[in-house]
Formats: sequence, C-alpha cells, structure tokens
Amino acid sequence: MNSPASVVLSPLPDDAGNAIIYLDYAATTPLDPRVLEAMLPYLQGADDPALRWANPASTHGPGLRAREGVERARAQVAALIGAEPREIIWTSGATESNNLAIKGAIEFNRAPGRPIHIITSRAEHKCVLDSCRYLETQGVAVTYLKPGADGRVMPQQVLDAITPDTALVSLMWVNNEIGAVQAVTELAPRLRERGIQFHVDAVQAAGKLAINLQDTPIDLLSVSAHKLYGPKGVGALFVRRWPRARLAPQMHGGGHEQGMRSGTLATHQIVGMGAAFALAAREWTIEMPRLTALRERLWDRLRGLPEVLRNGPQDPSACAPHILNISFAGVDGESLRAALPSLAVSSGSACSSATAEPSYVLRALGRGDALADASLRFSLGRGSDADTIDCAAGQVVDSVQRLRELSPLWTP
Amino acid sequence: MDAVKALPTNPQNYPAPVWRLFNETPLVGDFPPGVPDVWVAEVRTPAARAVLRLALRCEGSKIADARFRAYGCPVCIAVGAWIAQWSVGRTLSELAALQAVDLQLALEIPEDRIHCALLGEDVLKALLARLKETSRHEHPTH
Repeated sequence: MNSPASVVLSPLPDDAGNAIIYLDYAATTPLDPRVLEAMLPYLQGADDPALRWANPASTHGPGLRAREGVERARAQVAALIGAEPREIIWTSGATESNNLAIKGAIEFNRAPGRPIHIITSRAEHKCVLDSCRYLETQGVAVTYLKPGADGRVMPQQVLDAITPDTALVSLMWVNNEIGAVQAVTELAPRLRERGIQFHVDAVQAAGKLAINLQDTPIDLLSVSAHKLYGPKGVGALFVRRWPRARLAPQMHGGGHEQGMRSGTLATHQIVGMGAAFALAAREWTIEMPRLTALRERLWDRLRGLPEVLRNGPQDPSACAPHILNISFAGVDGESLRAALPSLAVSSGSACSSATAEPSYVLRALGRGDALADASLRFSLGRGSDADTIDCAAGQVVDSVQRLRELSPLWTP
Repeated sequence: MDAVKALPTNPQNYPAPVWRLFNETPLVGDFPPGVPDVWVAEVRTPAARAVLRLALRCEGSKIADARFRAYGCPVCIAVGAWIAQWSVGRTLSELAALQAVDLQLALEIPEDRIHCALLGEDVLKALLARLKETSRHEHPTH
C-alpha cells in the first residue's frame, strides 16, 4: 500500500525526537514538495528575467508572467471540479469562500422590505453557521436542519423546509468531523428546478470524491488549498456563470476577481493551490481506494474494543475515504487525548477548540456530552500506511483499556 | 538497579507531578472482597464528569495499604494516585488534616483545576466520616 506520492514521511518526530503519527489530514496537510517547487519562482528570483513575483495585475511583462501563473492555476483548480476557469474566484481560504458565498448571495438577492430565507444544517462548519447567524441579526430567516443519526441531511428534509422566501441552501459535501457524504448531487437539480441557489462547502470533498460541476447544478462551491497538500491562506469559490450566480462583494477595493473579491492576488499561494489541485486530479483515483482500505483497517482494529461507536454513516460507501470518527464509552475525553501524546488526531472538541466544548456536530447527531467529548477523528492522508495505522490503533486500544481499568464506573 | 522508565512527552504541558502520576498510576484497583479493615468512599462532581474512589486498609490507627480508581481528567487521576500513595503509613489524624490546598501545592495544580483538588479532599472526608461511623464501637480511639 504505497502512496502514489511517496513524498510525505510518517511518522514524524516531535520536538523531543519522539515519533509522532499524524492522522489529522482533515485539519491540514503538509505542503507537497512538488507544490513548493512550483511556488518558489513566484516568491524568489530577483535575477530571474521573468520576475514572476511581480504583481499579476500589472500590465508590464513581469506582471503578465505572474498573471500566466495565476491563470494556469485557475484552470488547474477548475479542472478538478469540472468548472470553467473563469468560474473560479480566489479567496484567502474556505472561511472567506463560505462567507462570500452566503453573505454575498443573500445581500445581492435581497430586496428592501421583502423577507428572505436560508436553509442549512446544524452540522455545518462554524464559518457557515456564524455567517448564517450574522445574517439572522440582519433580519434573514434561517432554518437549521437536524441531520439524521448518520450525520446526513435527507434531500426531502431540505425540500420540505423550502418556503416562498427561500433564496439559498448551504450544505457541506463531506462533513469535516465525521466524513458523512451529503446527497448534494441528488439535491442540486431539485433546487435548480425551484430557482433556489445552492452553495456547497466542498473543502473535504475536493480531491477525495468525483466532482463535476458541468453535470451537477451547484451554483457556488468552496474549496481550500491546504486540505490538499497546498499552502495555507488560499482558497477559491466557484461561482457559476450560467445560469449566473451573482454575489455582492464582501471585500471592496480595486475590483479584482470580476469585482467579487478585491485585493492583490497572492500569486505564489495561488500557483501552489493550482499545482496541488493538479496533483490531486492525477492521483486521486489511486489514492482514494488506498485510503478507504486503510480507514476500514483502522476501524477493524478499533472495533475489537467493547462499546466503541462509529460516528457517521455505517455504510462505508457513504463516508469520505479519509475520515473515521469514533466515540469511546467509559473514558474521559481529555484523559484519552493526554494518553495519546504520540498521536496527532482531532478530538471531539477540536472543531470548537476555542470554546473547548464537546463537538456540536456529534451532539447534533444525538451523542451526549461525555460521549461526544470522548471521541477521536482520525483523518488519513498520503503519509498514512498500514504500519502507521496499526501502530496508531494499538496505542488507542492500549490507552482506552488502561483508562477503563482506572475508572470506577467501567464494568467490563 | 532498575532502569527508570522514561515518561512520554507532555505536549499539553500538564504539571510535572500530574504527568508522572497520570502515566505511572500506582495503586490502581480495589481490595479483594473479604479483606478486613477496609473502608471505601466514592465522590463525584455534578453530572459525574469526575469520579474518585478511594479504598484504605487500616491497621490500628495507621493506613497499611491503599487503592484508588478515577474517572476524569489527568489531574483528577493524578489526585487519586497521589492520595493513595501518600496515605500509606499515615495516621488517620494526618489524613484528616490534608486539605485541597496541600494537594494543589504537591501536584502544582493550576487554579482552573482546583475542583480536582477539592474532589481529593472530599473523598478523604467521606472516607473518614464513614470510617468513624461504621467503626465507632470497634475502634473507639478513632
């Protein structure tokens, strides 16, 4: 089970030289060295006659060289998701993409004195939920659908929630905490029939699942570079040209990006994102079956423990290849995390770590606070192989057993 | 000489005494049924997010042996381990004098985890109260 890109070493040493097994690829990924190589000419090279580090908005020769890099990257990002290059708008990352999509669409489509309504789910990323909550303070009505026990929102739930005022539906393609794949391809044409815009946060889906926006009538789609071995600080929003999805800009300035997102383009970041998406396009059909097999291998080893619960769809085909989320009954979440110092995984509270509260996503699925807190999200990537998975599983099994033996509440 | 087992790295920066006891956890368990002169107490925080059980075996007015179990954060587990270890060889009056602030000092417990030290004081108080109550006639000197 060799990764097609054997460029990411794992396990990695920590500061003290101990081996760390990194299984948090859904949080971020390391920069692929091939991506770095593509980026460097756009950062360095004072003596390079091409001067690719120039401002891509400049109309002199070096500016045009920089512009070529930006446009090549736009085509590379578009190619991975079946879009046209001119439908890609650069942003600083998926949080900005989601803000621009939701707030921009509502602000553009809102008429004074006329009610307007959004449908989303309780298991969305914080940046979607907080954008919706902000819009509520501006008088926008929002319906937060409750996902089923498997973390998925059924298309019929969405259709049933539609009102005459519904202007936008926002759902994530793959849930970042539990890996549940939403039925966005089934839902998209039904929303199109009704003239309702559909925004999809595809941060965890891009490069993991087949996305073809020529066939799937999604209007707005957010992606990020650093989840796919690209640099942090750059993302993109797909904005459909036909039928035209229109947005009110959230960043005002020089009218960059067709007026939808002003600001000097971060050429090196954008080139890196393009290179990363091009690599993903080349490798994902090999890499995803490999990760799916490793994910199931991990689950097979962990399910040997009593009272472990897999969060998300029980049908493996309804889960993203790289995410496995497990709750361990009978152990305290903080102690479980502390007992695994050599394992870099996300906990049940990681996605709301600023508040250190149990995951709102797991709670939305009906998990109690203690069980939500005693959960780990394993997310696999190019550095994962059978050895690291077996080693990680062994550490988790040992730690859970030890903490349960310590507990006065645990009865085997 | 036995080799000293190295502790794992401490990425979350728990206080050193807490980290050592969380990893080594001496005296975990219960006394087998039928062992004489054993007293047990269990206390918990609201909603049972932390539970501490302490079992002490007495010989006269001294603690001959101890066991503990804990469910909760690493600090809570370390408090249980520390009390169990510290109790052995002590007198009941020494146990009665131990307060949360002593645990806080010994384990370098930060202010935001003071509830773990209070849980430790509570389990000792509960155990001593139980011991006094049940052994009033058998051990009038307690």
